[in-house]
Amino acid sequence: MVILLLLAIPALTGSALIVSGRSTRTSLQGNANLLSLGASVATAALVVAAVIARPAVDRSWLPALGVRLQFSVDGISAPLLLLTAALSIAVVVHARSHAPHGGSPAMFYGCLQLVEFGALATFLSRDAVVFFLSFEVVLIPMWVLIARFGDSHDLAARADASGRFVLYTVFGSTLMLVGILALVQAAGTANLDKLAEAHGAGIERPSQIIIAALLLVGLGIKIPMWPLHTWLPPAHTIAPTAGSVLLAAVLLKMGTYGVVRLIIAPLPIGFGALAPAFATAGVIGILWGGLACLVENDLKRLIAYSSVAHMGFVVLGLSSGTTVGLQAALFANVAHGVVSALLFFLVGGLKERWGSADLATARAALREVSPRLGIALVVGFAASLGLPGLVGFWGEFLAMYSAWSPAPDRPEGFMRVLAVVAVTGTAVAAGYSLRVLRLIWSGDRTVPAHEDARGGEWSVLAVLVAAVLVLGIAPGLVLNSTIKDVAAITLEVSR
Amino acid sequence: MSQAVVSVNAAVLLPVLAPAVGAAVILVTDVAAQHLRRTHYVIALASLLIGAAGTFAGLGMVAGDARQTLCLPGGGGQCMFAADSISSALQLAALLAAALTLLLSWPDDKLQLPGGTAVMVSLVLAATAGATAVAGARDLGSWLVALELATLPTVALVALRGARSAISGAVALLTTALVSFGLLALAAALWFTATSSAFLTPAAALAVVDDPARRPILVLAVVLVVAGVGFKLSLVPFHAWTPEAYDGAPLPIAAFLAGVSKIAALAALLVVIRAIAPLGAPPLTAIAIVAALSMTLGNIMAMRQNGVVRLLAWSTVAHAGWVVLPLATVSSAAVHASGAYLLAYVLATLLAFSVVAALVQTRGSDRARDLTAYRGLLRDHPVLASALGLALLSLAGLPPGVLGLIAKVTVLRPVVASELWLLAVIAAANAVLGVAVYVRWLRAILASPDAGPDGAAVVAARDRQAHPATLVAVGLAGAALVLTSLSPQLILGLLGS
Repeated sequence: MVILLLLAIPALTGSALIVSGRSTRTSLQGNANLLSLGASVATAALVVAAVIARPAVDRSWLPALGVRLQFSVDGISAPLLLLTAALSIAVVVHARSHAPHGGSPAMFYGCLQLVEFGALATFLSRDAVVFFLSFEVVLIPMWVLIARFGDSHDLAARADASGRFVLYTVFGSTLMLVGILALVQAAGTANLDKLAEAHGAGIERPSQIIIAALLLVGLGIKIPMWPLHTWLPPAHTIAPTAGSVLLAAVLLKMGTYGVVRLIIAPLPIGFGALAPAFATAGVIGILWGGLACLVENDLKRLIAYSSVAHMGFVVLGLSSGTTVGLQAALFANVAHGVVSALLFFLVGGLKERWGSADLATARAALREVSPRLGIALVVGFAASLGLPGLVGFWGEFLAMYSAWSPAPDRPEGFMRVLAVVAVTGTAVAAGYSLRVLRLIWSGDRTVPAHEDARGGEWSVLAVLVAAVLVLGIAPGLVLNSTIKDVAAITLEVSR
Repeated sequence: MSQAVVSVNAAVLLPVLAPAVGAAVILVTDVAAQHLRRTHYVIALASLLIGAAGTFAGLGMVAGDARQTLCLPGGGGQCMFAADSISSALQLAALLAAALTLLLSWPDDKLQLPGGTAVMVSLVLAATAGATAVAGARDLGSWLVALELATLPTVALVALRGARSAISGAVALLTTALVSFGLLALAAALWFTATSSAFLTPAAALAVVDDPARRPILVLAVVLVVAGVGFKLSLVPFHAWTPEAYDGAPLPIAAFLAGVSKIAALAALLVVIRAIAPLGAPPLTAIAIVAALSMTLGNIMAMRQNGVVRLLAWSTVAHAGWVVLPLATVSSAAVHASGAYLLAYVLATLLAFSVVAALVQTRGSDRARDLTAYRGLLRDHPVLASALGLALLSLAGLPPGVLGLIAKVTVLRPVVASELWLLAVIAAANAVLGVAVYVRWLRAILASPDAGPDGAAVVAARDRQAHPATLVAVGLAGAALVLTSLSPQLILGLLGS
């Protein structure tokens, strides 16, 4: 009941806002924002309740296809649910002071609510087909956010970015659908829990490899994994702040979450065969993203490339096949959600103040004119480069550790090489993080002056900075939540 | 009289008889009292709805169950007409689609067709009777005749407007109809040669199993059926008439071609496929190739169109590929999947046609048939734009058009189950191309009108009110699409299990 309610609130609010978009009452920014805020807060409260009570829903929906509406919460999905709910509030609060441009506010907030609905449904779903449907729900609202509310300086670039986003992701998800159908056909059940419990029993090795490959490519586009990442930088560059935040912090997580649920748990043999290739792509992504960041002059695009690098660590952790690796991946997932949300809020605000996000233009140093933005930026980039004590450290450190000592069926020497390369990736990360800080934070220029963060913007930034610190100091908050279910997947309980 | 040559159960035949009788009544009425217009429509709608009511008994029946009639004496279950759950669902869809078409063409005081409304309406009813008949036909003779009955009136319907484009569309349609008939007649002859039976039933096809010499003949017959029906279903390489005919025909007739005609064609194909399904045939490569080509070419060409009717025509070609995609694996699940996909497509495309028709009425033809005319539609006509958006998303197979997405899931299932990986990946790529097609249109709908390429804001004033009947059509189709998107089981359940 709690689960159905927490899904119904954003779904209904979102649809209502979009349908009533032209009526005068909801077309006012204040009204739409308040309605949306109320819905997000109510949803978040229900998410917290669901995470504590762990209820489950199981209803018949499509008997002809054997599809059931099965929703429940477990340790793996709980942190992601909380992250989604919290960031949904954050984007609405942030938009109070940064009204959307380009369309009616009702449409904007409606799309945000639908993205939240799709993400929550994805993380809650226990039926593979419903998982796929929920995965698709976020596409069109996010497309509208980019195509309608995105940066309108260059309309052709906006059309290109939004089109690229939707086409890439649709291709990925349709491949995923083919993989899901094959998996369901081979395993005889669409229930993700049953699939995980079976550990691939009864599916031949060649089938496992084919299905895992289809799913990996499909989900790899969403993650995004090198070389399938090319849709991400333009989408982030163009999207409005709220869109970038949700894209980086929520949508990308659905990809890695899908890898755990649909590939690693039900197809251990198939994934084991493909893991070295998968890990290689991840490590190339780490270097590729890092090197791109060293020369990139558009700040939003730079953070998008750093996302590619961070997701590379997640991929590396997933590939190791150990409990530590999976734990690292899931933690890095959440960490990247928090850090990228913080950075995109910051950069979105800076872009608004500066009029562009170009790093080559001389600006007033943040530490001089806007110390609040400055400190948030320092924390964000410090976390991004993996400074110990901040949230970014644990995921990356553990991912490299797990690659150094992978599961017995992985090629150990090769994985160690990858681990070493990944370490150089962290050095590159330090390089580009410090470059950005040098360019826009340090210095003593005070012109052209701009406003510091206030009100909604500052409270959102402050909360995220606090989250970066708290999770960095006490990573156990997330790790303890996931450990039981992760161990069940890797079968390492007895160790 | 109980010892008639064949037994007749009028209740089973009601979906065929009702529109046929309706057509006759309208023609008689027209002779008796000329200058009637609305009366014809009322009679036609009534007969279609009576026919639709007649299908209810057959909906959702268990597999293997069928209401049979026109059975030969002496038992043996040799019946020329059978309505099981799939046939009944297709009949219902054809009748309702025809009713929607009539709503779209509801007599406007300005429009004058040669022959008046009676001719037009009775032709629609006749073609619909053909569609419902072919769904139930189980013998070669009635199958062929019913399929032609479903086709030939559409030629006249396209030509009726008399414009040059209409005539060329009608000629294209007529030529392909003739070629298609030739192929189908040949296929029927081959079927008879192979099975020594005039019945299109599994029992007849099973006779071939033991005789390897006759098997190739049967396969050839099936391939020829695919080719012949391919013309009517607009499959590549038999698709060339489609854009001409859609563009030349009046809008409601184009909707009829996209709806009822496609249902008739698929119903005809399914009769044959179901007859050979129990044979455990290997995958039909011919269908796989045709499906892949249709999807790809249809989507690529649709992406290049600027006229919305031509875009919808090419999207028909692409969707025809999706419809026959599962049939590459000859199985019962594939037949259900194919039927479900077609119903989802017809519903969505009829909604799109209804909205275009409503816009033609409100803003005039020149401001509704071109993609650029849709810029800013969401601002000018939010309700129509939302309905169109839902239809396009359903065609693209993206939520909130859940029905279209579930339809894609349904047709991919048999393909994946038979491990036709290449075909599955081609289909996945085409899902992307399909999205690209409809995203162009969606982008125009969402765009702000004042940001037009010429810089001049289009004056939104002087829009007339659309005809209420058209708005009713939009409302009905829209409500049906919303309901079935919330619960796709409503459509899947119709086809039975």
